[in-house]
Amino acid sequence: MDRSKNHITPPRLAQRLLCWFLKEELAEEVLGDLEEKFYVTLEKKSKRKAKRNYWYQVIRYIRPFAIRRIIVKHSNSTTMYRHFLKISLRNLSRHKVLSGIKIGGFSIGITACILISLFIAHETSYDKRYKDGDQLFRIANEYSDTGYFGRWTNLQGPFKPVLEEHIPEIEQISRVVLWKWGNVGENHVRKVEATQNIYEEGFFYSDPELLEVLEIPMIYGDQKLALSSPNHMVISQRKADKYFPNENPVGRQMVLNDNANTTYTIGGVMKDFPLNSHLQGDFIMTLKGRTVGPGSSDWCCSNYDFYVKLTASADKSAVEEKLVTIRDTYVIDQLKAANDEIEDIQNNQKYYLQPIQNIYLNQEEVGDHISHGSIYAVWVFGAIAGVILLLASINFINLSTAKSIKRAQEVGLRKVVGSFRSNLIQQFLSESIVYSVLSMILGIILAYLFLPTFNQIADKSLVIPLGTWWFFPLLLLAALVIGVISGIYPAFYLSHFKPITVLRGSLTSGKKATSLRSGMVVFQFTATIILITGALVTHQQFDHYMNKSLGYQKDQVINILGLNSLDSMERDLLKNEILNQSAVQSASLGDYLPVAGSNITNFGFQLDGASTLDAGFEAARWIIDEDYLNTMGMSIVSGRDFNDELADENSIIINETMAEAFDLDDAVGIQLVDMFDGKYQVIGVVEDFYFESLTADIRPLAMVKGKGRSTLSIKLSTEELEAAMSTISTIWSQIEPNQPIRYSFLDERFERMYDSFSRAKTLFITFSVLSIVVACLGLFALSAYSVEQRSKEVSIRKVLGANSNLIFVLLAKDFLKLVGIAILIAVPIGWYAMDGLLQDLANRIELSWQVFALGALVALLIAFLTISAESIKAAIANPATKLRSE
Amino acid sequence: MKETRLGDFEETLLLLVGILDMEAYAFKIAEEFESQTTRATSIGAVHSTLNRLSEKGFLTSEMGASTAARGGRRKRIYTITASGQRTLEASRDFKVSLWNQFPAFAGAKLNFNV
Repeated sequence: MDRSKNHITPPRLAQRLLCWFLKEELAEEVLGDLEEKFYVTLEKKSKRKAKRNYWYQVIRYIRPFAIRRIIVKHSNSTTMYRHFLKISLRNLSRHKVLSGIKIGGFSIGITACILISLFIAHETSYDKRYKDGDQLFRIANEYSDTGYFGRWTNLQGPFKPVLEEHIPEIEQISRVVLWKWGNVGENHVRKVEATQNIYEEGFFYSDPELLEVLEIPMIYGDQKLALSSPNHMVISQRKADKYFPNENPVGRQMVLNDNANTTYTIGGVMKDFPLNSHLQGDFIMTLKGRTVGPGSSDWCCSNYDFYVKLTASADKSAVEEKLVTIRDTYVIDQLKAANDEIEDIQNNQKYYLQPIQNIYLNQEEVGDHISHGSIYAVWVFGAIAGVILLLASINFINLSTAKSIKRAQEVGLRKVVGSFRSNLIQQFLSESIVYSVLSMILGIILAYLFLPTFNQIADKSLVIPLGTWWFFPLLLLAALVIGVISGIYPAFYLSHFKPITVLRGSLTSGKKATSLRSGMVVFQFTATIILITGALVTHQQFDHYMNKSLGYQKDQVINILGLNSLDSMERDLLKNEILNQSAVQSASLGDYLPVAGSNITNFGFQLDGASTLDAGFEAARWIIDEDYLNTMGMSIVSGRDFNDELADENSIIINETMAEAFDLDDAVGIQLVDMFDGKYQVIGVVEDFYFESLTADIRPLAMVKGKGRSTLSIKLSTEELEAAMSTISTIWSQIEPNQPIRYSFLDERFERMYDSFSRAKTLFITFSVLSIVVACLGLFALSAYSVEQRSKEVSIRKVLGANSNLIFVLLAKDFLKLVGIAILIAVPIGWYAMDGLLQDLANRIELSWQVFALGALVALLIAFLTISAESIKAAIANPATKLRSE
Repeated sequence: MKETRLGDFEETLLLLVGILDMEAYAFKIAEEFESQTTRATSIGAVHSTLNRLSEKGFLTSEMGASTAARGGRRKRIYTITASGQRTLEASRDFKVSLWNQFPAFAGAKLNFNV
């Protein structure tokens, strides 16, 4: 090694740091080792990397065995800090209730903050794990004209080869199918040699490249090859352990839905998707070699989500522009043949590359088929955490300044014996840090205890990262910061007293401090009232959805699922056998249900003979049998239902919204054409019913006749569900002994659609309770303090003849006035906030003044009760005991 | 009594000390660890574990020669003690016995050099 040539030495500062903390006897060997490491690194890598590595090695030497013993020097300042600590603890134990309230309120705030921080950290941690994460994107369509802007993912399948050929910046593409098509979603599976079918969820299709594009780590099998042959699939580690414990399942075969004609060969086992992956699933089936259903390639239909990996040097917006150019040069003819609206597309439609780490929170609002977190929830949660912590800090400030007269004499005396103001500020700051550290410890314990409940409410599985090196230092730092922030005002306030006024006894609690305290009480109650009304409004909205008339009857409808393991004769047999039961009113084979998680298909429709340009129009398209509308309790408003005597091959039933969209007064008899040029005659119009979420308006819906393959819906005529279910189960097990019956209740599935609402409701309630508790703790302490202050006044008034009622009113009215002001402030803010919250919802409730009145009343009542305890005690006390000492 | 069981990292380091023989000092051991396991570590972590192994009595050490690359500083060379040797053997025998009890592996006729 030629060191003289390039005079590069290890970083001096790092060496000095090392020598500072390292035991002297270790210095020689360690310095030698690190220097050797430095020069070896230098040979292989750049100068900067070698220096950075040296720093890293130095820092990694900060371990107990290597650090020299710190000699504790007894200086003046350590004695002083010990003194501060002692005084703080003495004060703490002298005023147990007040200190308890300070620490209790603080730790509640900290608990809320820790939990919410965990939530936010989790929500923002999605898809950050990829090595080449900044090169991974999902392609979205982007449509904008004057009235409308929207983004969505689906693209036509044949785009893949075109893009691969013409855009060199795209390194790899993988299509996926995540919507309910073919075997996507849930299936019944078995090993090929087994007989029992087992229900599994999390199936989807993808191209072989997906494993490489999304850097999915493999346990068995090869990333490149695992999905590269037809009818192969990759399963997750947990499913491999379930079906093939203790063996390498590559090459083994599985059967889906009892369809032994097509077996799936396991091409590999992947690591389970981490919780913070937007893409979830346990079974990836390959699109390779498929020509029917998923895998079919046609310019007509946009059925695929596209993930792309760009080259490292590629420019996102350049690729976006290229996508448009490609469409307009290579694809335009095919699109023209398949689609009539090509001019509209050319004018208004572009492409957008969504970075992979944005997919989960989806700020861009790209329409797709996966479940998302909400950036809005992150903000609301963050704000709530902030408010609760602020409320707790306010308590702290309030109580510290309220106690000021008691501490004032201490301050005066300290100043007389020579203390500087800066010393006093230090003293009060260290006191508040003692409080905040204690609260932090209690807060961590509470957070640990409440995490399971919180997980349930937020529908997450968060864990407190106790094991990570940064967790406790971070919290300690947070405790220091909170301690300083909430202690700074009291510290300056308490230390400003002039010794002469204080010691003479002429100090009264200042006007300024009182008005500040009042302001803070007002703030606390304003926040509390807003949260209470938030809880009430979400509750009302949820209630409104649950009781909304839907246009169909969801009660006493059972959906038998997993019929796709049966053949069509068996399905008919099942239906007929079940219909024979007296408890069954009607039954229908139909895979389209008016709840989430059901099939979705959208078709373009137009009036027969309409000019092609303005007729482009999309509607949901359902396939139902002649018993469907009857079973679900939907009603025909004109025309007729499907009929078992007629084939009804070219008949179609549309909903009122669709009839209106075509501007038809009487739709019956009208001819419609779908995007595949199928002609249908409208035979009936069904009353509008909510077949998607109540949060959106009803879309056009068209229904053609056919039989479902996986779901049998049964309307019961009896309330005795259990008896009916046991007979149905018996019938099922006679027809399909190898698969346990699986069913759901329509009303429960309906309710589950609004889980997010009921969760939001619970959260609002939880946090409003928390903020009420914190605010009440503060109010309680303040009122106790003010009663104590005025105890002599109260006693004298009583001696002079005031009765208990008058005294009570005297003591309570000040605080109730403050709550009154809070109400006046909270109502307009709350109204505005709630209005914004509900703004985008269809079927929203109207805000009523009763909600706000109720919120205000609750706050007032709670405040009243809080103040009463101390005030009543004062009002009925014997004046003699208080006055005797004078 | 001192804890005398071996952790995975400890066992690996102990073996590496044996392999490296006269070159067994913290830097070399860390390098060897990284190249053999492809796992990252730091000299500090290795040194700390070597220190612990010495406390347990599995290793002894003495200061060795110095080289120019180290700025003329001496290095601490580690050697396995008899008790270290025994513990390593016990650990290997235990694992071999577990492997032999696992039918799937025992049936595969794995060749153990016992």
